[in-house]
Amino acid sequence: MHHVLVDHWSQGASPLHARDARAKILVLLVFLIVLATTPADAYVTLAIDAAVLVSGILLAGLPPISVLVRAAGILPFSAAFGAITWLAGDGWRAVALIEKSYLSAVAVLLLVGTTPLPRLLSGLEALGTPRILVLLAQFLYRYLFVISEQAQHLQLAAACRGGSSGRRQSRFRAAAGALAVLFARSYYRAEGIHRAMLSRGFGGRFSLLNPMRFGALDAVFTGAIVALLIMARVQ
Amino acid sequence: MHIPDNFLATPVWATLDAISAGAVGVTIRRAGRDLPDTRIPLLGVMGAFVFAAQMINFPVGAGTSGHLVGGALLACTIGPAPAVLVMTTILAIQAFVFQDGGVLALGANVFNMAVAGVLAGYLPFRLLGASRRGLAIFTGGFLSVLVSGSLALSELLISGVRMPRALVFTSFGLFAMNALIEGAITISVVQALDKLNPGFVQKPAASTGRILVVCGCVALLLGAAGFLIASSAPDAIQNLGQTLGISTQPAFQTPMANYTAGKFESAWLRRATAGLTGLLLICGLCAAGARMIARRRSA
Repeated sequence: MHHVLVDHWSQGASPLHARDARAKILVLLVFLIVLATTPADAYVTLAIDAAVLVSGILLAGLPPISVLVRAAGILPFSAAFGAITWLAGDGWRAVALIEKSYLSAVAVLLLVGTTPLPRLLSGLEALGTPRILVLLAQFLYRYLFVISEQAQHLQLAAACRGGSSGRRQSRFRAAAGALAVLFARSYYRAEGIHRAMLSRGFGGRFSLLNPMRFGALDAVFTGAIVALLIMARVQ
Repeated sequence: MHIPDNFLATPVWATLDAISAGAVGVTIRRAGRDLPDTRIPLLGVMGAFVFAAQMINFPVGAGTSGHLVGGALLACTIGPAPAVLVMTTILAIQAFVFQDGGVLALGANVFNMAVAGVLAGYLPFRLLGASRRGLAIFTGGFLSVLVSGSLALSELLISGVRMPRALVFTSFGLFAMNALIEGAITISVVQALDKLNPGFVQKPAASTGRILVVCGCVALLLGAAGFLIASSAPDAIQNLGQTLGISTQPAFQTPMANYTAGKFESAWLRRATAGLTGLLLICGLCAAGARMIARRRSA
């Protein structure tokens, strides 16, 4: 599964993995904003941005082809709009649209591929995201796989009982029933989770095994890349 | 309907990021009062449920299938304010982990689907839920998807993404069909939930004040305005974008594009675009007003 692979990537050890989550988030935001405001015909800027991403992927030791293929998931959408823009007589804009949206996707993938989600969320919280959203995201991501597996089981069970045949109306109702069962199970599971957390002394916040530290190296990393990106933009 | 990065013009995503941050902030303050820490695991797990629900296919005929989007279902089970937060979290995880929707465009996606979609989906339930519950829930599912789609399309048009009129019509047709499917799925899931435990679906009168109703109406109006203007004259929104200086003049313009731009500059269109701008302003004012009220109450 996609997310399992990204999870696996984020466990690696490289200079990029070792950087503080806040530094990487800040660099990503600057990258995305610079990219979004780059005009379509600024080839040099776009090339420098792409080079920054490629060196990031290599530095992080991620499999380059895998990363590029995975980020291509965005292409159907942007290619469709690119084709329309092209037909409307805006060839350059179409190319830039596809290229820029692809680079953005690679950049986000580079962040989540080098930062485990708990650290990423702690970084976002340290940068001002409300605690409640961070907690929600942690629970959501943790139970996403559990509940998805349950959904798969429900579908398999329905198929075993002949759920894929029969009238459309009855299949529709069966799917609604399965969703209701999934809803109820998730609801009751949440109650159990909360009791279990209380009994283990949950204090309203998840803590990381090794705390975040924004060191000198992180500052140099952030400063250097941000300076490079901005210089490439205003050149 | 997840808008990736670089499709929206900078002023559009920046404004929507600001509006969404404000709206979600207000919701957290509002929800924070009625929401004990005990409910947080529940909301997170329900978010995972909505994610996983996309794996269960509903046959809709002609060999195709649809799946639950979930905004309206969440709004009438866990309440509108928590539903906004859960949908926001889902969109954030989709943007970061699955690259489904952009990070800069997250504000736009949150505004379309988590704020406007959930509020528009909750509105019929709040107003009609006591007397005609089934109809209200169906309409809620329908409106939540239609408003989200209409807003997303308007934002793309206002950012200068060029779309021929036929395509705008096709997109609206698809949105309307998806919206009907969402309505049907929502009501049949609610009926099945009633059989399991009638307590899952909230009593509409039990919760919420007027602010939510007003915001829901505004979301609905915005969606409707986007629908009417975009379907009657997509160029109008693009022209609005250009006159406001939002979308840059394309580097290469075909004579045809110039021709249509000239043709559509009628008094009616100017009025219509002014109307849309006004609606946007009202929405901003509503968000600001709600924030002030929330601050005064929590103080």
